[in-house]
Amino acid sequence: MKLFHKIRRTGIVTEPLSVDGTDGVALAREIDARARSVFGRALAIREVDAGSCNGCEVEIAGLSGPVYDMERFGLHFVASPRHADMLLVTGPVTRNMAVPLRMTYDATPDPKLVVAVGDCARTCGVFAGSYAVAGPVDSIIPVDVTVAGCPPEPTQILQGILAAIGRFELGGARRA
Amino acid sequence: MNESLLFDWMLGAFALGAAASVALPLGGVLRRVALVCAAIGSASALALGLSVLRAGATWTARWDYLLQPLGGVALRVDSLGAFFLLIIGFTGLPASLFAIGYLKHLDGRMRSRATHALFNIFLASMCLVTCADNGGTFLFVWEVMAVASYLLVISDPEQADAPTAGLWYAVMTHAGFLALLAAFIILAQGGSWEFPVLHNASTLLSPGARGAVFVLMAAAFGSKAGLVPLHVWLPRAHPAAPSHVSALMSAAMVNLGVYGLVRLVFDLLPPGPPWWGGLLLGIGVITALTGVLYSVAETHLKRVLAYSTVENLGLVFIGLGFALLMRGYGYGALASMGLVAALLHTLNHAAFKCLLFLAAGSVVHGTHNVSMEMFGGLIKRMPATAMLSLLGTLALAGVPPLNGFASEWLTFQVLVAGAQRTAPALAILLPLALAGVALVAGLAALSGVRLFGITFLALPRSTGAQQAKESTRIMVVAMAIPAVACVVLGIAPTSVIPQLSRIASDLGQPAGPLSAGLALSVPLVTSRMWAAMIAAVAISAGAAAAVAVRMVGRHRPVRVGAAWNCGRIIQSARSEYTAAAFAEPLKRVFTGFYRPTQEVTIDVHPASRYFVRSIRLRADLAPWMEEVLYGPFVRATRAVSDRMRQLHSGSIHFYLALLPGALLMLFVISRWLR
Repeated sequence: MKLFHKIRRTGIVTEPLSVDGTDGVALAREIDARARSVFGRALAIREVDAGSCNGCEVEIAGLSGPVYDMERFGLHFVASPRHADMLLVTGPVTRNMAVPLRMTYDATPDPKLVVAVGDCARTCGVFAGSYAVAGPVDSIIPVDVTVAGCPPEPTQILQGILAAIGRFELGGARRA
Repeated sequence: MNESLLFDWMLGAFALGAAASVALPLGGVLRRVALVCAAIGSASALALGLSVLRAGATWTARWDYLLQPLGGVALRVDSLGAFFLLIIGFTGLPASLFAIGYLKHLDGRMRSRATHALFNIFLASMCLVTCADNGGTFLFVWEVMAVASYLLVISDPEQADAPTAGLWYAVMTHAGFLALLAAFIILAQGGSWEFPVLHNASTLLSPGARGAVFVLMAAAFGSKAGLVPLHVWLPRAHPAAPSHVSALMSAAMVNLGVYGLVRLVFDLLPPGPPWWGGLLLGIGVITALTGVLYSVAETHLKRVLAYSTVENLGLVFIGLGFALLMRGYGYGALASMGLVAALLHTLNHAAFKCLLFLAAGSVVHGTHNVSMEMFGGLIKRMPATAMLSLLGTLALAGVPPLNGFASEWLTFQVLVAGAQRTAPALAILLPLALAGVALVAGLAALSGVRLFGITFLALPRSTGAQQAKESTRIMVVAMAIPAVACVVLGIAPTSVIPQLSRIASDLGQPAGPLSAGLALSVPLVTSRMWAAMIAAVAISAGAAAAVAVRMVGRHRPVRVGAAWNCGRIIQSARSEYTAAAFAEPLKRVFTGFYRPTQEVTIDVHPASRYFVRSIRLRADLAPWMEEVLYGPFVRATRAVSDRMRQLHSGSIHFYLALLPGALLMLFVISRWLR
């Protein structure tokens, strides 16, 4: 009984979503609204790990975790680039992943957006110069927005996604 | 057209074909002449069957000077015989045409003579089985058919397992022959073996004797039709035979088991007690389930088809068992509906199985392989074969509007109609049978997906499949004949219903109306199936969807790219789904039935077991049915023959000493007999 009493009294304990004054929920709502106006539907994201240390993946997984739970605002991760509007690429592109990344990009229907997440995706980070690394993401496929950070926080990733949609609204349809 | 003339044409063509294959010089001319004769004979059989069915009359002939010790040859083609004659002619025609292209590699070899001659004899004997009108003729042509097909099964010396398959076949078929002989002896009661006489005499038999005759006949014809547990020869013999022969065996010969049972039980015996029907129905359900379960698990292409034959014959026997059951309870209309459903399924199965075995022959011919694991990608290399197989597979899987669906639907509905009768045995038995039929239909669809997908789609898994070539035109034309029948019988099943109903009423039972306009209908459950409508709706929905996609996407840019393969750089056949893997989930569900055995061999580096060089998996199904049912018999035979071998000492003195002993024993026996 004591346990139940405590559960009732305590309520739900969670961290506030706003980080550095940015409200994740508002951000997600905005992304969804603008994605709907651009693509005509909720934003479908395909995540591509091109050789990441999985730090960025943990943050991206946080987006669909219980704290952020972005799927409730329409942002969802899909299992195939055929279903995707946006590629979320992480990590320095390794030699083994260079061709698959290119194939993934080609397999994504137009119009599409590419967001490179993390310092490694931007500059190869600490892996720069390694024999196994082919280069940063934008050396393999065209990138719309890069999100800095090692790893970037979920809110920053959301800001990156929003920026990509903004760029898209300005520039119109991307070249294939 | 004159029936006698057609009959003469039929026998004459087969005889000419057999004679030509012995007399002509070896080469392509021999093959063409012999097989064209076979085709002409089959076409005549088809015409004869059609003409008798159309006219509704019977055709009779007597040749008393032939087979005199057996009571002379008596022939009679009535509606039932004509129907099966039609099936034989209809499957014999494409099989003969197919063989013209298929057996080209035999030209110039001595065994081509035997193969072509036996093929003609086999066809002729099958046709005559449906015409026989006395016990002597029936047994004689039945035996000729068995021997001819046995010799054809073992005719290919490149098939390593053909002798074993042939042995199984010979033993099973002769056991069946003995049962048949015993049944006839009991039935004749020492009198005449003419069928009309037997028909009258059978009413005088005691119920026990009638039951014995029924069981013996069910065993005899069941062994020919591949009923469990007498099916063991079928999945061995069909793959070992050349494909045009397996098509005939599977689409025509096994049906003669159905013919024999209908002829002797429905025609000659008076209505029996319900347990006859219950027995057949139960065996039919078990047969259908066993057949379909093995056809999903097998990886040998022709064995998959052979097990599918077992399954379909099971469905036919469900219909027959139902008819007998209803006959036993005195529901004449329902009994005849069951019979119509069974006959319709026989016809439909003959059409699609003939097509599929010929297509399998085409695949085997093109790839020089028999295992499904060695195929793949054949749709690109053999497009005509692939399309025709797709049609056959859809019919086999019971997809409307093809013919497999029509008869499965009818069987199902008739069972539903029967389950509404009040007898408690029916209320228990028929719902169980319905559940069995439903499971069989579902698994048959799974088997069809696997059969077509693994064989024709994806990348080729072997160099044979890589270099496969489309078959010659005559083979494709031969395959197209049953394919057309599959579509026509599927869309317009009602076109044959009146004839089938007449067969049922000729067997002494009034037939219920089973067709309403263009739709199949079962009045007692007020359900109807309009296959043409299904076809029209499906085709127009597909066309509408295609047009809609075109219209909507008209202004959008189109980019053509490769199929998405998950970003794999090296796309090889090794990452494909295999036939065995496709069946794996089912093998786990039905572990108790399949009793799978597997053996994993891991080869590791001598320095450390963590460095694996290769992993081999060998997965197999334990042939427990053969072991349980025939193991003791086989072992006993071996033991006896081992004993006998000890007599073969090689000493002539010992043999001479045995002679007076044998003489003495004969004296004793003759004394005792007198």
